[in-house]
Amino acid sequence: MSISRRGILLGGAGALGAASFPLARPAIAQSSEPIKIGWLAAMTGPSSAPTVGFNRGVTFATEAINAAGGVKGRKIEIITRDTQGDPTKAVNATQELISQAKVHAIWGPVNSGEALATTPLMARAKMPDLHPCVVDTLIDPAKFPAAFRIAPSNGQWDDAVRNYCLKVLKVSKIAVIGDTTGYGVTAVKASVEAFKKDGADVVYSANIDATQPDMTPDMLRAKNAAAQVIVVWSVSTGMEARMFNTRASMNWDVAFVGHPSLASGELASLIEKPANWEKVYAIGYKSCSYDSAGKLPPKSQDLVDRLNKAKVPLNDTLLWWIAGGIDAVELIARAVEASGSTDSEGIVKYWNSLTKYPGYFGNYSFSPTQHNGYPTDEIVMSEARSAKNGTFALAPGYS
Amino acid sequence: MTAITDIPTSRETTTKHSVLPALLPFLGVFALAMILPFVSNDYWALIGTRAAIYWVLVAGLNLVVGFAGHLAIGYVALLTLGAYTTSVLAAGNVLPPVPIYGALMIASCVGAVFGVIVGLPAMRLRTFYFAMTTLGFATIVTQIALAWQSVTGGGIGIVGPEFSAPFNTPWGFYYLCIGFAAVATWLSANIAYSRFGRALIAIRDADVAAEATGISKPKLLVSIFLLAGAMAAFAGGLFASLQTYITPDAFTFDLSVLFFIAILIGGRGSILGPMLGTIILTILPEIAAPLAAWSTFLYAVLLLLIVLVMPGGIAALLDFKNRRPLASNRAIVPRIAGLSDVLRKTATTKTLTLRDVVLTFGNVRAIDGLDLDVKPGQIHGLIGPNGSGKTTTLNVISGYYAAKGGTITLGDDALPPGMPELRAGKGIARTFQTPRVIGEASVLENVMVGGTIEGEATFAEALLSLPRHHRDERKLAAQARAMLGVVGLEALADVRADRLQHSELRFIEIARALMLQPDFLLLDEPAAGLSSDEITRLGALIKAISRRGTGVLLVEHHADLIFDICDQVTVLNLGKILAAGTPAEIRVHKEVVSAYLGG
Amino acid sequence: MLGSIIASGLAAGAIYALVGITYNTMFSTSRVMSFTAGQLAMLGGVFGSLFMLKMGMPTLVGFALTLIACAIIGVITEFVAVRPVLKSLEQHLYVLSTLALALMIQQVTAIKWGTEPQPFPRIVGLGTGVWDEKFWLPVVACGLTILGLEYLYRRTLVGHAFMAIAEDNFAARALGLPERNLRVASYALAGVIGGVAGFAGGELMLAFFANGALLNFYGFVPVALGGLGNNRGALIGGLALGLFQQAANFLVGGIFSSVAVFAIFIIVLLAAPQGLFGSATARRV
Repeated sequence: MSISRRGILLGGAGALGAASFPLARPAIAQSSEPIKIGWLAAMTGPSSAPTVGFNRGVTFATEAINAAGGVKGRKIEIITRDTQGDPTKAVNATQELISQAKVHAIWGPVNSGEALATTPLMARAKMPDLHPCVVDTLIDPAKFPAAFRIAPSNGQWDDAVRNYCLKVLKVSKIAVIGDTTGYGVTAVKASVEAFKKDGADVVYSANIDATQPDMTPDMLRAKNAAAQVIVVWSVSTGMEARMFNTRASMNWDVAFVGHPSLASGELASLIEKPANWEKVYAIGYKSCSYDSAGKLPPKSQDLVDRLNKAKVPLNDTLLWWIAGGIDAVELIARAVEASGSTDSEGIVKYWNSLTKYPGYFGNYSFSPTQHNGYPTDEIVMSEARSAKNGTFALAPGYS
Repeated sequence: MTAITDIPTSRETTTKHSVLPALLPFLGVFALAMILPFVSNDYWALIGTRAAIYWVLVAGLNLVVGFAGHLAIGYVALLTLGAYTTSVLAAGNVLPPVPIYGALMIASCVGAVFGVIVGLPAMRLRTFYFAMTTLGFATIVTQIALAWQSVTGGGIGIVGPEFSAPFNTPWGFYYLCIGFAAVATWLSANIAYSRFGRALIAIRDADVAAEATGISKPKLLVSIFLLAGAMAAFAGGLFASLQTYITPDAFTFDLSVLFFIAILIGGRGSILGPMLGTIILTILPEIAAPLAAWSTFLYAVLLLLIVLVMPGGIAALLDFKNRRPLASNRAIVPRIAGLSDVLRKTATTKTLTLRDVVLTFGNVRAIDGLDLDVKPGQIHGLIGPNGSGKTTTLNVISGYYAAKGGTITLGDDALPPGMPELRAGKGIARTFQTPRVIGEASVLENVMVGGTIEGEATFAEALLSLPRHHRDERKLAAQARAMLGVVGLEALADVRADRLQHSELRFIEIARALMLQPDFLLLDEPAAGLSSDEITRLGALIKAISRRGTGVLLVEHHADLIFDICDQVTVLNLGKILAAGTPAEIRVHKEVVSAYLGG
Repeated sequence: MLGSIIASGLAAGAIYALVGITYNTMFSTSRVMSFTAGQLAMLGGVFGSLFMLKMGMPTLVGFALTLIACAIIGVITEFVAVRPVLKSLEQHLYVLSTLALALMIQQVTAIKWGTEPQPFPRIVGLGTGVWDEKFWLPVVACGLTILGLEYLYRRTLVGHAFMAIAEDNFAARALGLPERNLRVASYALAGVIGGVAGFAGGELMLAFFANGALLNFYGFVPVALGGLGNNRGALIGGLALGLFQQAANFLVGGIFSSVAVFAIFIIVLLAAPQGLFGSATARRV
């Protein structure tokens, strides 16, 4: 028994050496108990697309680390719970991961509605948590000292879109449209306020029921208000497609700028003709965008090659989801590796010490007072219809 | 005579004995809930708390769905309303912060009001319409929560209220919610087993008879909607506290389906069943996690199976008492001697008078200028061929139809046309051609329904189980048992009514009608389907009733019975009077003899 | 602006009216209001998209197959959720059984078809702007359906039999009409009408699983307004609802329009429980 354990430890150390983690140092209390990561996924239900992508990254990273011997001999064990995007189920699953499965850290949930309910619960249990949810209030190092965001916040998205409209497109008459979901209502309000603060003229703003069959009323009002760009905050591709089609039938050449879902692959089949999808610019990321020569940044290209080798499909998802899933698992693994244990304090302390940690999705920086780790300058606009293996072309205006 | 006076007292003791076995399952569930903390972890505290909170809502909703039979499928709306009201008040983002218990109380009041608003269409229309309204309301509430951002926080939501020590730990909050669940059980049981609960079931399964016994459906339903709305909103406040943070997407339609199906799995008209249903449905998704995506589908399959295969739900499975076979050669032997003890001597001298009453359906004159006098202490027979307007006459007197012409007076007072639920108060009781009894209630409860308007305790008194309510219950139960003794069905008092024979149902209806101590009793073919022995006994019973001063209007096809016991007979044909007089006169009336009496 | 309100209002209204007629058709022979009415219309869109876009069938074949598939679902409704509970109609168990079936249809669609709205192909390819086919197609479909039903009910033997059963179930059975077969036929017919609604409205509403629940409510409002079993009432009620809803959409915005529709629904139910064109209640005693 003791021999076999030592064997694993030795093997583990060797593997770690091979993986050459820069912060590797002898751990004091090592065990062969796996590192348990709770993964609050919305595998099914209406908003499952991101989870599918994230999950590929999670699986890929876990297999890679475990194949290399794990973290100091400790394998990573992913405990997945399907929340279906339902906050009630997410609360149950979170408590189950904490109390019953006794996980060491949690990745997720991936929807803000769930995270709003689960974050206080995790804070009560001091559970280290990484999530990609956009709502700004989810990050508050004073209230939730163990919660970290590894994706842009709403505010950062908003900044990027606003910068693009005002500085790149150089327009001043803005229309802001969202759906009537919680996200849409909130995002429209924040966006309108920020535009006004920057001195732009918000000529029209509205929330539309995503099931509304006809978008003409709102489009017409936006046009009559002389909008030069329409900023869209919605995850409903059906509604977005109808807006594109309406724009075409109105013979209006206004640009759409906004939420990443404007670039969703489903739109290709929802629009009446391909041209309707032109002049649509969705939020994208430097790490996952190709330039005019069709080239990705080298690190991302390397990842794509490895994913291709591992036969991870890319054509039906987004690269950033996969990259985010990989980063989440690796951040947890490295925190355990660096702090030498799976204790909550150590993991949080490690994350708080990161500056420009080179992830695949972005370079994360955290501090004890700043848990929004994703840099705003890595958010860019991309051509919505340019999807290629989960990556996009940069929108016009970026050199 | 002594035997009959003895009955109530001896029964009372058995009632007390029989309460304990009924309580045992609840005490068992409560005991399990109490030991849960010692055998599990915080996760089960959460699930247990959730089940308790859901039960607070379901306990109220059960009265609407399981007892009153109104299919409220969108009750998550009231949970949402309660959750937001409590959170907004406790957070103080609109008004100054309110302490959490105060916020919960205010939320309950708001919930009560909206419970009634959503229920309004149910006053006049049943089932599908009401189901649709609650469904529509569920959609609207979520949309308002989204739109009214300054108050509800819109999609970002709002922090749930927090309880102070010792209820701010998982187990502390768990015990608090178990406490609330226990109170909710107690409150709903108080109503369910009061005359209000019986009246609800009567509205559900025999609403025509309920009206005839004077049950005011709108008033009763408003009380129930107030209660159910308040409990749902209260549960909402607790739900918000459990979730720690609420957004509109936490209130899914799945949750509504869960509440609704928990009741149907549990069984209509039961409290234990829906409680077990709630617990099962809360735990089921946790232990069947791989099926998460199919959970709604499974709920739906469950619902369909229940409807098609076991409409009685868990409650029917647990109802061992009603599986014992009944004696097959039962005979109904009324004990008429006891009548004088239970039916007070009527002092009325008023006559029930119909003058020139006309009722038309389209072009058909169902009643065409009818004059009729029913005198106290007399039996008035009403005969005639099918379609001659006999039952229609009863229905006009009972107010189910408003006469198009003519007057109906009781003494000097005109009876308001229509408004059947006012007749009981005027001392007019009746039975029906097809017995209208509540199949799922016991024989005793069916008879007790007849005395609903005799009760003195208010809804609130019944809710809180105050002394006057107990006095009512004791009085009604004793009286109903005595009535059953009189009609000869005492041995079947605790049997479910749908297990009885047709002839027995007719006597239940008479017992129920007598509970009113009526001045006038309208009997619609009481002898139909009875054996000749039973008809003889029925005749004696009716005669005895009239000797207590009650005026009886008897619609019957059995000529022998009519001529045997009636003081006056009216013969109808095509809505008109063909002949009227004493039995002796009618027996020799030429046209009547040739047309109906077969010479 | 006005043109847009009228075009989209009439189009949405025609779809609501067709769903209302689906309710009525099922009700006429069985006295049952079925929650599957809206789901049938949803399936009309989903099947249409499945056959024509996913499987690449020609429009007419896709249309015929969609109607057949919806008719089959209608018949399944009769067998699974209606027939077993008919004998105890007064207990209203059909509300539960049809709700269960509707939830099952919706959930299977969500899982197998997906929870995102999917496109519906252009059918005729005529018209732009307010004269786009997505606006006039539902109106034309609704008109043709009404005319077809009028012809069926007034001129054909089967139609007369339907009417007889709708008038008086027991009397019709006493006359020797094959009441059970006619009921199955009426459910198949309801499936076809629902399918037409979904197919004609496919371009407007897309092939989307959540349309079922939506149309259940918005299709029921015309029935409540127009009176149970009254197809002309449903037509007027549906068009009025569509116009009102779209006008509210244009004038005050999405959220408040649904609140307004709900408020009107409650008020009408309270003021005229039998609907604006409905007849008085049947005898109860």
